[in-house]
Amino acid sequence: MPFLAVTVVAVAAFLPLVVTSSYILSVGVTMFLYLVAAMSLNVIYGLLGLLSLAHIAFWGIGGYFTVIAVMDLGLSFWVALPLAGLFAGVVSIAVGFPALRLNRHSFVVVTLIFALLTTLVARDWVSLTRGPMGIPGIPSPYFFGHEIAGAYSFYYLAGAFALVSLLLLYLFFTSRIADTMRAINQSEDLARSQGVNPTAYKLLAFFLSAFFTAMAGGILAFNQRVIDPLIFDFFFMQAFLIMVIVGGRGSFVGVLVAGAVMSILPEVLRFSVDLRMVLYGLALLAFVTWAPNGLAGWIRERREERLRSELRQ
Amino acid sequence: MDYIYFLQLTANGLVIGLIYALIAVGLALLFGVLGIVNFAHGELLLIGAYAMAIALPAFGLAYIPGVIVAVLTAIIAGWFIYEVFLSKLGHGEFERSILITMGLSIVILNGIQYIFTATPLLVNTEFGYAGVSIGDIRVAWTRIAAAVLSAVTFAALYVLLNYTQIGRAMRAVSQNRDAALMVGMQPRKIGRNAVILAASLCGLAGAAVAPVQLVQPYLGQFLVFKAFAIIIIGGMGSIEGAVFAAIALGVIESWIGGFFPVVWQEAAGFIIMITVLMLKPSGLFSRGGMRVG
Amino acid sequence: MNSATPLLEVEGLRKSFAGVHAVDNMSFSVAHNTITGVIGPNGSGKSTTIDCISGFQRPNAGRIRLDGRDITRLTPQKIAKAGLIRTFQTVHIYEAMTLRENLLQAARPFQASGWVADFLRLPGMRREVDAAMVRADELVDMIGLRKYYDAPTRILSYGQKKLVALAAGLMPKPRLLVLDEPVAGVNPTRIREIEEVILNLHAAGESFIIVEHNVEFVMRLCERVIVFVGGSKMTEGDPKSVQQDARVLEAYLGIPA
Repeated sequence: MPFLAVTVVAVAAFLPLVVTSSYILSVGVTMFLYLVAAMSLNVIYGLLGLLSLAHIAFWGIGGYFTVIAVMDLGLSFWVALPLAGLFAGVVSIAVGFPALRLNRHSFVVVTLIFALLTTLVARDWVSLTRGPMGIPGIPSPYFFGHEIAGAYSFYYLAGAFALVSLLLLYLFFTSRIADTMRAINQSEDLARSQGVNPTAYKLLAFFLSAFFTAMAGGILAFNQRVIDPLIFDFFFMQAFLIMVIVGGRGSFVGVLVAGAVMSILPEVLRFSVDLRMVLYGLALLAFVTWAPNGLAGWIRERREERLRSELRQ
Repeated sequence: MDYIYFLQLTANGLVIGLIYALIAVGLALLFGVLGIVNFAHGELLLIGAYAMAIALPAFGLAYIPGVIVAVLTAIIAGWFIYEVFLSKLGHGEFERSILITMGLSIVILNGIQYIFTATPLLVNTEFGYAGVSIGDIRVAWTRIAAAVLSAVTFAALYVLLNYTQIGRAMRAVSQNRDAALMVGMQPRKIGRNAVILAASLCGLAGAAVAPVQLVQPYLGQFLVFKAFAIIIIGGMGSIEGAVFAAIALGVIESWIGGFFPVVWQEAAGFIIMITVLMLKPSGLFSRGGMRVG
Repeated sequence: MNSATPLLEVEGLRKSFAGVHAVDNMSFSVAHNTITGVIGPNGSGKSTTIDCISGFQRPNAGRIRLDGRDITRLTPQKIAKAGLIRTFQTVHIYEAMTLRENLLQAARPFQASGWVADFLRLPGMRREVDAAMVRADELVDMIGLRKYYDAPTRILSYGQKKLVALAAGLMPKPRLLVLDEPVAGVNPTRIREIEEVILNLHAAGESFIIVEHNVEFVMRLCERVIVFVGGSKMTEGDPKSVQQDARVLEAYLGIPA
């Protein structure tokens, strides 16, 4: 497994030296950012079972925050990006605290309302966001005097960001913190009876998922060189959610594989956006109806069945 | 002159409010009876609107046959969705219901966009752009038709829910599910009836809205997010609350749009909704609070 | 730990649902190093009392003290940390985790290292895991399920799951373990095993409250038995005197005293 991971990273790192098509590299950029966002959603929804529709809001907030911090406040991109993550994290706590007070159903409703509200703010708070027309002419970030512009350098920027983020998230998914989250998801009463404070874990999960999603959104904005309220398009939310469900909620590897395949395959097959979304939607329906635990869950269930029959003999 | 402008705004607001009500009532009904939040509600409306847009030229622009085709198409779609997906959900599988209806929404919306492209359709009817003037107030016939259609539907709905076996069963399940099941009501049949009823309301709303606004794939999503706000204001699952909140919102939006920057027109629903949520988390009209959970 | 103060002291507990008193004026206490049984017919307030003691229900009135410390209005997690652990009538275990993971998870909230130590796998965290592993090894042998140590607990039988829940409750070495119907629905041979386990642990200094419908099980195991009727304590004493109490017979069998 580590060997496979190193090979994949190495291939990804040398790809731009072989492939010169900026189209392929830009597909790579999108994939890197989607992977981080989907894995972030996997923290709150996968580990804790809390369906957050607010991810699209954090994604957009991250984009707008980074752009405004760089263009209006004159901050460096490298400072603005983590600040955007922190800002979204703080917002997530402010939203999460009341949203978690009721039950997991109201959490869905409150996060949805929050997502709709941020769209409205982006469109209507014209003095801050310049309204529906968006903010054009986003400058390129500089890395030690080297301008990051175009698919080639953004491939490395997004790739490095995804590598670091996913490594940190991998450490998180394999830590005891994640185990406690899985425990809370399976039986909150039992976890409480054993001394776990579920609210603290839920807020941590929400914070982390907002933090990484917002930074991915920030890079997306600089890659597009323009940001407008379309960054809040529900399409992104649906794409992240489908990657998590197809891969298997709570599974790191499952979501990684599903995210990569679902980012690349439609491009390879040259599907139009509508047709791609129809297929995404059908995949969502099929998995939710017949394999709610995704690919990873399906494999796990097969393995458990085998184990059960072995142990019963 | 000012009060005429005001009356004009009120009349327009009432029409829009009635259309909102058609959508929101269906959402409230599904929430009450099946315990689900239907993210594909706007797409049922979309099916109705496109059916109307296609049927009208086929019937030589005759309004009523177009409406009938739209309603029937939406009913067939709703029925199919219920039998294939929703009937397999257990009560209280709230998150799964969201994911399934979201999947349906994605498939229908993008399917329609794939077939008809994103170019808006301009729908013409036998009424054309003619209107009627009462004093200085002028209302287009298509708007009057939409209002009359909605009003008649609500009268029929009222009779259905209060005086027929089918409607009473739905209300019983929505008010006290356990008791209703205890006395031997069949949840599957009642659920199917609720979905068909909600779908027909969507089809009707789609037919009514098609000649009034441009028909394009995101029409449904735009309206349904409003309807979410409306059923939260009206108290999740409360039908009376949804009707009242929908009409009020339509009129208030129209007033705000007439006197303030258009920004506030859209924000109005959300501001009211958030205020209601903060003051009374279970909604203005709810009796027992959110019933799922 | 002053042996003069009781381990658990419940005083004037009241809990009502929609005006109906499920528990009313309930008072009793439990001494250190004992196995105390709680019996009573259905609706006598056993479950509600456990829920109040463990923080899952908020009592309307009354005081609950653990080793002299007032725990009346604490959350379940704080009460657990204070040393009172409960199990549930319907089996609550982490079905998607292995038996080993279930036991390690149960010890987790009682260990000192925080999120940072966990995330970075600091040496302190590793030592904790090793210590918990030793305890888990002991317990898994005691419940005789070593064969299933690394199997997901979902595949276990109902009785085996009850044993896992018992072992998980014991992981942090609580001051008091409250068992809610530990043998309901468990087959008779397995019941003997559970008895054995509890007696061994008691000998090692563990205290238990056992709430059970199975009167024989309680009478064999407990030094003291408390009888609940109609939401309050009717009587208490050693098993023999309780069994001979005419009022207990009446409450259970409807035989007039």
